[in-house]
Amino acid sequence: MDARKGSPAPESMDRPFVIARAFDAPRKLVFEVWTQPEHLKQWFSPKGFTVLAAKMDFRPGGVYHYGMRAPDGKDMWGRWVFREIVAPERIVFINSFSDESGGLARPPFPEPWPMEMLSTIAFTESGGRTTVTVTWTPHNATEAERKTFDAGRACMQQGWSGTLDQLAAHLAGATQGAQRT
Amino acid sequence: MPADHLSATFAALADPTRRAILARLASGETSVLKLAEPFDMSLPAVSKHLKVLERAGLIARGREAQWRPCRLKATPLKGVADWLEHYRRFWEESFDRLDDYLNELQGRENRHGRKKR
Repeated sequence: MDARKGSPAPESMDRPFVIARAFDAPRKLVFEVWTQPEHLKQWFSPKGFTVLAAKMDFRPGGVYHYGMRAPDGKDMWGRWVFREIVAPERIVFINSFSDESGGLARPPFPEPWPMEMLSTIAFTESGGRTTVTVTWTPHNATEAERKTFDAGRACMQQGWSGTLDQLAAHLAGATQGAQRT
Repeated sequence: MPADHLSATFAALADPTRRAILARLASGETSVLKLAEPFDMSLPAVSKHLKVLERAGLIARGREAQWRPCRLKATPLKGVADWLEHYRRFWEESFDRLDDYLNELQGRENRHGRKKR
């Protein structure tokens, strides 16, 4: 696939994080629901989140700015700055956390995660089904941020986080010393 | 958690042998000798893995006994898990909703209910 063709070089040295899913719908429709805010509002947020705002200027250089409220009442803002639009094949944008006024914001956790991510969303159709492939590469990241991304990528890709969570929960519930077998 | 610490935790978890060691330690503290048993690996090789895990703050090793028992430390694990979970959940759940939404747009009932994957 040529999804990364046309992207500038420096960040392509990093190995990307890739996530893909096939949907039972034609490519034209899937592309539309990814690129129109009234559609995105309907699905682009985890369960239990309420969409606060979704404003899009869909052209290279344009911005999609969105906000959502978590079930615990915390607000989260994000933005995409479009770089490349090839309907209905792919969109390329710089994804980051944002604030209410659309500025660039740090991720809401203390760890050194890249502030900006070059995201390529590729749409391929086969037999009436459309596969969406999301590819992430750190953009303008520091050495420490890239290292965290690289290590985190391996963990996310291997589905290790679920296992880790169970392990941590198991440990949290266990009293020290009562554990010996 | 400090920046360096998190990178060390991730790096430590990227290796399958080290993950197996952690899983083993989840059922209680044990010695290096015992830990090495299921692996086709020399003791120095296992010790090297343990050092990485110790530096990452994922395990603690007793000084009291000569056999230096290894035990799991939960805190860094919890930090990493919460954080990665955030990303995983965002995409998984958004994709689930997209699947339902596309069915709805095409005039299909979500006949298979919410969790067909």
